Amino acid sequence: MEKLEKIMQDTAKHFLQEQKVDLIIGYKQGTIPLRTTPCFVTKPEDISQLVWNVCCDHDLTNFLLQPEYKDKKVGIIVKGCDARALVVCMAEGQIERKMVTIIGMPCPGMIDRKRIESELEPKEILVAEITEDQIHLKGKDFEQTLQKDDYIQASCKSCRYNNPPVCDVLIGGQPIELSFNDDLDEKLAELEAKSPDERWTYFTTLLSDCIRCYACRNACPLCYCKECFVDQTQPQWVGKTTNISDIMFYHMIRAFHVAGRCVECGACTRACPMNIDLRLITRKLQNIVKDRYGFEAGLDPNVPPPMGTHTMEDPQEFITEPE
Amino acid sequence: MKEKILPKEQLPQILKTLLESYKVFAPIKKNGFYVFGEIETPDEIALNYLNSKIPPKEIFYPRTEVLFTFTKSPQGIDIQEAINPSESRVIFGIRPCDAKSFTLLDKFFSYGKFKDPYYQTRRENTLLIGLACVNPRSTCFCTSINGSPFGEEGLDILFVDLGDKYFVKSLNLKGDELLDQLPGLTPASEKDRFNMTELLKKVLASMTPEIPIENINTKLEQLFDEEVFWDQFSQKCIGCASCTFLCPTCTCFDVVDEETSSSGKRIRLWDTCQFPLFTLHGSGHNPRPTKRQRLRQRVMHKFSYYPKTLDEIGCVGCGRCIIVCPVNQDIREVFKALQET
Repeated sequence: MEKLEKIMQDTAKHFLQEQKVDLIIGYKQGTIPLRTTPCFVTKPEDISQLVWNVCCDHDLTNFLLQPEYKDKKVGIIVKGCDARALVVCMAEGQIERKMVTIIGMPCPGMIDRKRIESELEPKEILVAEITEDQIHLKGKDFEQTLQKDDYIQASCKSCRYNNPPVCDVLIGGQPIELSFNDDLDEKLAELEAKSPDERWTYFTTLLSDCIRCYACRNACPLCYCKECFVDQTQPQWVGKTTNISDIMFYHMIRAFHVAGRCVECGACTRACPMNIDLRLITRKLQNIVKDRYGFEAGLDPNVPPPMGTHTMEDPQEFITEPE
Repeated sequence: MKEKILPKEQLPQILKTLLESYKVFAPIKKNGFYVFGEIETPDEIALNYLNSKIPPKEIFYPRTEVLFTFTKSPQGIDIQEAINPSESRVIFGIRPCDAKSFTLLDKFFSYGKFKDPYYQTRRENTLLIGLACVNPRSTCFCTSINGSPFGEEGLDILFVDLGDKYFVKSLNLKGDELLDQLPGLTPASEKDRFNMTELLKKVLASMTPEIPIENINTKLEQLFDEEVFWDQFSQKCIGCASCTFLCPTCTCFDVVDEETSSSGKRIRLWDTCQFPLFTLHGSGHNPRPTKRQRLRQRVMHKFSYYPKTLDEIGCVGCGRCIIVCPVNQDIREVFKALQET
């Protein structure tokens, strides 16, 4: 990955020097181990800040939609999932293709620092070194080596497009093939086999810890509404408390809003301070859209999203003839 | 002030005794992280923790609470206040930073003419038994904010882990009285006291160096309008409320009514200065329309407005906001940048 990091820096620098872009949105080293943080580089001489490693898990597409970048030519570092989110934004008319230079990274899967930290507590990681297949951790009174593949983020294990389907340049030129064991579809099948009551219990238990901080919404590259339905006050659509009915209302409506759009990047789950895993819900919705409309989000900026368009071939058995 | 020793194997007995007369809240592990929850048996407790993910403030100041209910009757509107005298409670194993946060919350909820009865009622009947930090995180900065990993502020009793035993110290009359009721305690010796002091030295030496934050409030005031200064931090903020909702000293709330045609309730719930809706006026004007202003507010409130109004910094240095931020916004970077300006 170090080799790719260097190529990425050179490419980004070139784009800045040639004034093809006004700024590069990428990742730099974070302030605590196993973390990177978004960074915004405008000067070619600052390019060495940019890093590329298995901790680059933020979805940077999020930033492109902010008003300050509206008229700027932006170069953005993207993984497969981020590129797909970008494509959805383009298909939905939020981002102009010509304003963005997409620097694609073949993604080997990001590591799950939250799980590592949680398993280690009360030990705290002070230094982390990551090699091709291992994670070496050091703390006050311990040293430990983990196998990287055992700590890949769940959303990366179930990823179907780790290489950006659309980009201006693929760093390194070589797509990476992933082969992780993933049990998301198995878990989904288990959930589907349950009775409605049991499924309801699953949803309410899963979401009962939600504190309504909206980190899931704000981290989501596709939750870009200028005014979210939960923030509308005239009228107020949804109760604001942490009563389970209010929580369910928020999460269910948000799930509907990302149906056929979600690229399963896992940003929501990663951002959640309460470790709520929304992936079974999002996977189910994407499966429905795939089954019914043969559509997967984020692959082609010229194809409008199925929920935002209509064709005569759309399945419509729910429309019944009046008797 | 009494100083005692408790062999570790006696701790379950202490908890059992407490459980006989008090509702006991203590750190427990849930969904892969630690929170303060009510325990019913001593074995539920998980003391081998760094700090809880959610601060214990919600024991006194819940995320959602009913303030009063109202019903319409032919005689008018009948209002029932929802203040219930709380049972006697103990919070066991709380970290000194979080105990200190309660002293700030106490000030906030009794500021000016009005005392907040909802908070006060829960707070009054609660004893705080702290557990000193012998293993502070690298993100902890309590010592920069006049705190200490062995800090006593806000606590009634402090436990210090000396390996095979606890050094137990009562810090006020309430603490003294409680210690008298607890079994298995023996008087602390001079050597125990020495060991505790040595341990504190060792812990302090292991901590991330102090960040100089003197004159921080005047510096911040001068920088209020410096857009470039604030943009370097707010640029990457995604505007969620993790930092404020998981902050032990954040107290902002919203009040909403939930009603039907004949009855309803008024509810208080956590709110946050990080949401645009927090300051949106009825007219549609928003005095803090961008995340730059909202991030600035979070910093100014804790490090400038708090010192001005309450003569204390509104932060206890627990570092939760650093750990929990989805984009690794680190408040210490703000302090560093302040030093450089």
